[in-house]
Amino acid sequence: MPGSKLYTLARLKAVKAALKEKRPVRVLSIGSSSAGLGASASYPVKLENALEQALPDVQVDVEARGLPGEVASGAGERLRSMVAEVEPDLVVWQVGTNDALARVDIEAFGEALEDSVKWVKSHDIDIVLIDPVFTERLAEDAYYTEMVRTVQDVARREAVPLVHRYAAMRYLSTRGTTEVHMLGRHFRLNDLGLRCMAEHATRAITLSLLQPDAAKLDASKTDGSKADTPKADAPKAEPNQAGAPPLDPAQTGTPGSAEKPAPPKQP
Amino acid sequence: MREPNAIDFWRGFALVTIFINHIPGNFFERYTFSQYGISDAAELFVFLAGWSIGLATRGRDGKPEPRLITVLRLLSRTVEVYRAQITIMALALAMIAGCALYLDNPLILEWHNAGGFFADPIQTMVGVVVLTHQLGYFNILPLYVVLIAIAPAVVLIGRVSRAALLAMSLTLYGASLVFEWNFPSWPGEGDWFFNPLCWQLLLVLGFLANEATRESERLRRLWRSLMPLGVVIVAVGVVLAVLELRPDPMLAPEPRLVFTFDKTYLSPARLIHFCGMVLAFQGVYVLLAPRLGPLARFLSGLGRNSLAVFSMGSLLSLAGQFVRFQTGGGIIVDVSVVGSGLFALGFTAWFVEWRSRRPRPARKAPDAASPSSA
Repeated sequence: MPGSKLYTLARLKAVKAALKEKRPVRVLSIGSSSAGLGASASYPVKLENALEQALPDVQVDVEARGLPGEVASGAGERLRSMVAEVEPDLVVWQVGTNDALARVDIEAFGEALEDSVKWVKSHDIDIVLIDPVFTERLAEDAYYTEMVRTVQDVARREAVPLVHRYAAMRYLSTRGTTEVHMLGRHFRLNDLGLRCMAEHATRAITLSLLQPDAAKLDASKTDGSKADTPKADAPKAEPNQAGAPPLDPAQTGTPGSAEKPAPPKQP
Repeated sequence: MREPNAIDFWRGFALVTIFINHIPGNFFERYTFSQYGISDAAELFVFLAGWSIGLATRGRDGKPEPRLITVLRLLSRTVEVYRAQITIMALALAMIAGCALYLDNPLILEWHNAGGFFADPIQTMVGVVVLTHQLGYFNILPLYVVLIAIAPAVVLIGRVSRAALLAMSLTLYGASLVFEWNFPSWPGEGDWFFNPLCWQLLLVLGFLANEATRESERLRRLWRSLMPLGVVIVAVGVVLAVLELRPDPMLAPEPRLVFTFDKTYLSPARLIHFCGMVLAFQGVYVLLAPRLGPLARFLSGLGRNSLAVFSMGSLLSLAGQFVRFQTGGGIIVDVSVVGSGLFALGFTAWFVEWRSRRPRPARKAPDAASPSSA
């Protein structure tokens, strides 16, 4: 993926605090419906497993909720109620899909999203955003791309980690695969994207946890998850590169194979 | 067929508002009354349902009908509403799936919480039938099923003692707020979008309001004299809504739900605002009706056939969302979508009444003297 990154990293203070205090990390996972044909509604379970594998000796509780409605018209309120009810350390929010489907005004969406993110941060809760799914039908749709860009902008402005799901799936869509889906390749891609999302998000979270407190870094240096990306020309001295890219269809669903136990000190 | 009256009029009004609000992002959404207060059409709908249960369980002369008849009537109504819910769920899921196939766009499957069904139909199918799995924007009917199912108890207790009914209802409401009781959603985590344990209070209030004002002139005068208070409450609501002032749920004191503006648990703030609206607008229909003849008839027609119109409205608003998605929205699209939707709702109301009006042709008994009947 020339020039693009898989995630933007940022500090995760609340999760770090939970780790220090040796208490279980509560994660609130919010998405529209977290599913596709055949893919698991078990994304939250996968996320929990992947996080626990990546962070040994840490107990992680993932609570999954759907957030109906659009951020631009009131879902922000429900988000606040949910967060107040669950009181998590970390919120993992798949955002933008409902608003994109409803074609809400992009500026209104951006403002509402920023307000919600600010609110979560103001209560000392970490938040990781996941940008919308990519599907080829909407590849050329200017509105949709604008929506994705808005999510990225908000994440950057608010200095929160962002999982670049759109870019990842876009890249995947260009690769051939023998996997078939009875409804055609767009549905297969959706399936695949959702299966990979748990690993993707976990990686973003664990790498963000390793951020030094002083600064936030870009992901380009630590992007070790795609061995066969065309951007391999970038200096990649990562000895701990995963043996197989976690996004290889043959290996999805087994987070253990791609994940390595995260050593607290990374080169 | 009833003459246009206040209850049907406001019910029709609520139905139109709900239809418009279920097409998010559309041009007319900002003109619905939900944007100018902290309660909305759902409260109105449930309150009027309670009121009409009071009307329906009395005979024409106003005397309460026998208990058994009440129970059977409400039971058959429950079945009717349940049937409507299952039908529109099936149609809505089919519409979502069909749209995703037609547009070759799997993103559409995620809409309104439908993704859960397509990922795991096994559990979700059960959930749909048991009403624990609800699609977004299709949450009112499951609530309605539960409320009508408990309506016999409401009516019968109310006949024995209204005070007892109110007390029980308030206790259940209060306990649910404090202890955060709700019906669970399944499969998946979370709870029902409309908490029947809290929303039952609104049904009971509607029922009791009808009972109280029917009989006592003193109460009717009291009701009328409270109108200025209602206006004040509505004005406060407008200010809060326009300035987007809302209590922060994390900062609210315990019990949290008593102090936030929560739709699921029907927070006291919303309830008070709604009561204010009822008080403020109580006389409005009588004032408007002579001036708004056709509109009053149209809305009353919708209100009379509320179940059919609501079902059609839900499906039409879903279709409207697809149209807006595919065409990108914009004012022309919005006007045509909403306009054709309202026309279709009116047609639905008319059609339902036409069907019930048509007399069945009387079957002719076979002629006993005819030689061929042997």
